[in-house]
Amino acid sequence: MFTSGSELKGDKHYDVCVIGSGAGGAIVAHELTKAGFQVIVLEEGGHYTHKDFKMREDQAFPTLYQESGSRTTKDLGVSILQGRAVGGTTVVNWTTSFRTPDSTLDHWKKKHAVGGFSVTDLNPHWDAVEQRLSIAQIDLLETNRNNRTLYDGCKALGLEVSTLRRNVKNCLKSGYCGLGCPVDAKQSMLVTYLPDAVAAGATVVSRCRVDKLVTEAGKVVAAECSLIGDDNYSATGRNLTIRADRFVLSAGAIGSPTILMRSGLSGPLVGRRTFLHPVIGSSAHWAEPINPFYGAPQSVASHAFAHRGEGKVGLFLEAAPLQPMLAALATSNFGEAHAQMMAALPHTSAHIALAIDGFTDGETGGTVEVRESGAPILDYPLPPVIWEALKEGLRQLIKIDLAAGAKEVFSSHDPMLSFKSEKDLAQLDNAAFETGRVAVFSAHVMGGCKMGDEAASSVVRSNDLRHHTLTNLHVVDGSVFPTSLGVNPQLSIYGLSHLMSARFVGEWKHG
Amino acid sequence: MSTRRSFLKKSLFGGLALAVGGGGLALWPTRRDHAPRRPLKVFNEKEFAVFAAVAARVVTVAGADPVTIVHNIDDLFVTAVPEAKRDLKRLLGLFDNALAGLLFDGRPKPFTRLNAERQDEALRAWRDSKMIVRRAGYTTLRKLSLAAHYGQPSTWASAGYPGPPNIALPT
Repeated sequence: MFTSGSELKGDKHYDVCVIGSGAGGAIVAHELTKAGFQVIVLEEGGHYTHKDFKMREDQAFPTLYQESGSRTTKDLGVSILQGRAVGGTTVVNWTTSFRTPDSTLDHWKKKHAVGGFSVTDLNPHWDAVEQRLSIAQIDLLETNRNNRTLYDGCKALGLEVSTLRRNVKNCLKSGYCGLGCPVDAKQSMLVTYLPDAVAAGATVVSRCRVDKLVTEAGKVVAAECSLIGDDNYSATGRNLTIRADRFVLSAGAIGSPTILMRSGLSGPLVGRRTFLHPVIGSSAHWAEPINPFYGAPQSVASHAFAHRGEGKVGLFLEAAPLQPMLAALATSNFGEAHAQMMAALPHTSAHIALAIDGFTDGETGGTVEVRESGAPILDYPLPPVIWEALKEGLRQLIKIDLAAGAKEVFSSHDPMLSFKSEKDLAQLDNAAFETGRVAVFSAHVMGGCKMGDEAASSVVRSNDLRHHTLTNLHVVDGSVFPTSLGVNPQLSIYGLSHLMSARFVGEWKHG
Repeated sequence: MSTRRSFLKKSLFGGLALAVGGGGLALWPTRRDHAPRRPLKVFNEKEFAVFAAVAARVVTVAGADPVTIVHNIDDLFVTAVPEAKRDLKRLLGLFDNALAGLLFDGRPKPFTRLNAERQDEALRAWRDSKMIVRRAGYTTLRKLSLAAHYGQPSTWASAGYPGPPNIALPT
């Protein structure tokens, strides 16, 4: 059943307690319940359904996003969009579905001692998930103008580009994936694996924040929780203790390390090596209407710059939707200059370059810290190699926009730079690429509970994601990735979760 | 980097506020041109007036109402984590601090007591500052003002946004 914490007594002992209901937790919950385990899922966010998704930013951000959409890194240099609801970030992502690149898995094996996690291991699990989530490639003719201009620009320059695979069924392409799908077309965890798990007997508890894990003799014995009130954030004062034989931590790449740290289970590696795919954007004005607020928000990508050579951070390029609030935030300047840019929104495109962080020597990523209140904060001052990549990413986006016929392209500097032809690109040589001078955001948080076969350099074992010292605690979410991915994360997490679920069932059924 | 660390250690704007101190100039009172229309939840009336003065320069599109904007932000911050509330309140105090204006920009007046042209100069000074925390402060106030304005349906026409499509929702 789906329930709020206030309806639970906490007197039941479960086989498995899953903390978090997003891409990692939902699939584990379903697969284990289906195999006969008694499973409870604890989710901090609220349980919202399509009836609540009104396609309004002012309503969706406070209810469906971490910190009402205002989460940032510690120095406010990177805005972080992360979901917070039953279904996690899958409720608000833009449906882009890539399998983990072979090169990423190879890197993890060679550089981070990740074993038992190959393409061959993962393929049957991706097949199963892709079938359940109706993941299929979108036709070029179905892309909106915002994405099509990216495609056309890449083609004009001879760059690799293709349409994306998306987890949708009967999609109307209205453009509101980021605000919760109003027609249940997006095959998020909210409408697939979670209801499947509930139908099989699982209990999914919303507005139930896990404050800490209680351990005894090398095992987790309970999760101590605070129930959250109707405002979606404040603790009601009522607590709940959930006891189980096994615990699966799937609270996401910021949430999972935070819970470990609040529980006094941090060690030197928890919360370290957190990566973001830091994003820089270009906007461009076109003679034709672009209407970046409508249509499948993300349907085209280029990985032409994913491998830029030794010592360089790779990039991939995509489009981003612009509804008024997001557009206002993405637009630099203030006053009249800002208002003029906003008035041109229907003729504006937004393209983004995502830096593939964590692969070069010396990159350590960000560090999750727990603040006095218990809330997390990610400290991630971007290193020079990332800024170099973002500068190159912006340069390529501008070239692509101009090649596709944009009248004028703008950087995300404040004040913004303007480019009407390639000769204007020389401005980038002297432009400042540093915190607070150019907008950077992220919608992909990865790492913080690194997996690996060597206990000295990882938090969990790679073959079953079991904590190295707590023998009944597993971490199953994007936090276990040793680096970023080089692609949007959801399908990597689904595959990981499905694979691990199969291993759990095999092992746990026999004691 | 050491500058960044020393400021971040105390909280984002706490270090800066301590550095400025509380001399006589810092106590020059805020001009309260913008009064709240209803009881406040997070800000006090002085903070409200400072934020509204900033919002009035950030969002100048026809129909923008700084009082409505800051009420929206006040509502939003009820559920913010305590550290974020504290940082924002400190930032507002610092932004209107005349001593900070003098030390950083040679402008010995509270932000709320400047004319519109000088207020824009002050915003640009924070935006273009060599100090990360000042740039972060500018970005915070700018973004919150814009989000609180353009989230409202009444503003969509100014951005040429027709609003969500009329689609048949599942029952």
